[in-house]
Parts: sequence; C-alpha cells; structure tokens
Amino acid sequence: MTRSLKGTAQVIALACVAGLLALLVWQVARQHHAPGVGSMAPAFTLQRLEGPGRVSLAAYRGKPVVLNFWASWCEPCKSEAAVLERDWTSYRDRGVVFLGVDYHDLSSDARRFVSAHALTFPMLEDGSGKVTGSYGISQVPETYVLNRQGRVVAHLAGPITDPGFAGEFRSALARADA
Amino acid sequence: MLRFAAIVAVALVFAAPAAACAHPRASQSYLDGQVMCPTCHTTLDMSDSQAAVQIKGFISQKIAACWTAKQIETALVRNYGQGILAAPSHTGFDLVAWWLPIAGVLAGALALAFGVWRWSRGREPDEPSEPAGSGLDEETEQRLDDVLARFE
Repeated sequence: MTRSLKGTAQVIALACVAGLLALLVWQVARQHHAPGVGSMAPAFTLQRLEGPGRVSLAAYRGKPVVLNFWASWCEPCKSEAAVLERDWTSYRDRGVVFLGVDYHDLSSDARRFVSAHALTFPMLEDGSGKVTGSYGISQVPETYVLNRQGRVVAHLAGPITDPGFAGEFRSALARADA
Repeated sequence: MLRFAAIVAVALVFAAPAAACAHPRASQSYLDGQVMCPTCHTTLDMSDSQAAVQIKGFISQKIAACWTAKQIETALVRNYGQGILAAPSHTGFDLVAWWLPIAGVLAGALALAFGVWRWSRGREPDEPSEPAGSGLDEETEQRLDDVLARFE
C-alpha cells in the first residue's frame, strides 16, 4: 500500500517536472525572431489607424513595400517621420508602397502624431503588438523593405535618419524595386 | 458673517472637483499596479519607459474625467488587448490562472498532512512489548540466587 502510494507520488512529481519542461520548451520555441533577409515577410491583416477597414500585407504582393514600425511615444520616430513622408511622396509614383505600423500605442495619440507630422501613407494599428512581435521588433522605429515577392530585402533596426541606415535604406529600395 | 461666507466659498472651491464625480475617483496608484507596460513587461508603477509614461498620462486624464477603474481598464484592453492587464480576467479559461495556484497549495497541504500522518504512525510501536526476561539460563539464575541469598 505504502509502496504503491510512494510510486504514485513519484510519478505525479515526475509528470509535473516534465510538464514544466514542456512549457519552457514551448515558450522558447514560439518566440519570434526577426525574419532574415531573403525570407518571406510574415503575413498579417491589421486595422487601419484612421478610418474603418483592415489592410492585409498580401494585398500588396507584386509591389515593393516599406514597412515602418513606430509609436507616438517614440522620440526617434518624430525625426524619422518627415523623412519617410518625403521618401513616400518621391517613390509612390514608382509603385512603392509605404505602410506604417503603430505599435503598443494609444490610438488617439497615434492619430495626433500622424496629423502633427502630416503623414499621408497608410497607417495600421497593432495595439497588442502581435504582428510587431512576429517581425521580432524589440524597439521602434524599425523598418523592413520587402521586394515584389514579399521577401525581406533589408531590415533596419533603427531610424532611417541614422547616417548608417540612410544609405542602406535607399539601396534596399532600389533592390526591392528592381 | 462675511468671514463665514468666505470660508464656505473656499470650501466649495476645493470640494467642487471631488463632487464633480458621482462615484469615488479611481486611484492612479491602484491602476498603475494593475496595468502592464507593454514594452517592458512590468506593471506601470515599476516602469518609467516612454510607453509607460504615455499610459500613466492616459489614466491620469481619465481619472480627472471621472472614469471608473473598470472603464479605464476596458478602454486599455480595447486598445492594447487583454495582455495590458497584469491579472487575468475572472471568466473563461483565464479562471484556470486563479484556481490552479489554490489547487496546488491544497494538494501540497494534503500531501504534507498525509506524509506527517504516515511518519508519525511509523514511529509508534506496533504492539506493546512483552516484559523483558533476565536473559540468563536456569542454571546461572540459580547460582545467582544462591549468591544473593548468602548476602541476605
């Protein structure tokens, strides 16, 4: 009787340890990493920040896409906004799509930010940060440049106003547009 | 009389903001402990990140506008998703998060009580022991009695 009870307790204890280990492995396995250059950009559908409707990344297949992750509380995003708007106005005639993804932000503050910086390219909201997480974003601003096939051409983990990134951004746009 | 009127006027000025709400105002410090900073994964009261400062400002504004804590939390959940709250909700699958620790503590207490009970039973003698004998054979016992009789 005692021996069988002891055995049962040991099995339960082992099952608990195995369960916790499985949970740890599952947690590590589901962590998102930034998609590398050449890999497909994670698909998403997000709510528009301004006005109703949802936007899907797949809808832009066949066009180069600049995916910029930002937030209204992010200081470097403010200086980057003007540069992005300027690039958008100069590249949109060539069929390049700019998409802004506002992350972990209050919608009201984000709309004020868009209005204050007179941004005209489409803005999407990712309040929960799920899509942003699938791109491995840990800080904003970050920008992905995708080619016509939806593959990553460049990932710039910082403001494109940064001297190191400005040249890379232009060169990535040229590669994506090719 | 004029002095009394002045005191009443001052009291009304200070009482007006509090009286503006039909219910007790939500507490900023309470909400700062209930809401997560989405970028740093700690509660707001433990973070000074830009995202946390923004949400604290939002809460402060809504408290001033007489929103209840529940209304503020609902607005934040609508904007950021359920993950913005530090504690899981009390409905659906989230209930597991509340009951599992209680079940664990109960199971542990039961296991401990059972273990103590088993241990204490193991230490008790199974049957009363028989009076111990002298351990000597008859011949030696007889000789011992003879020797002792000589001393009496």
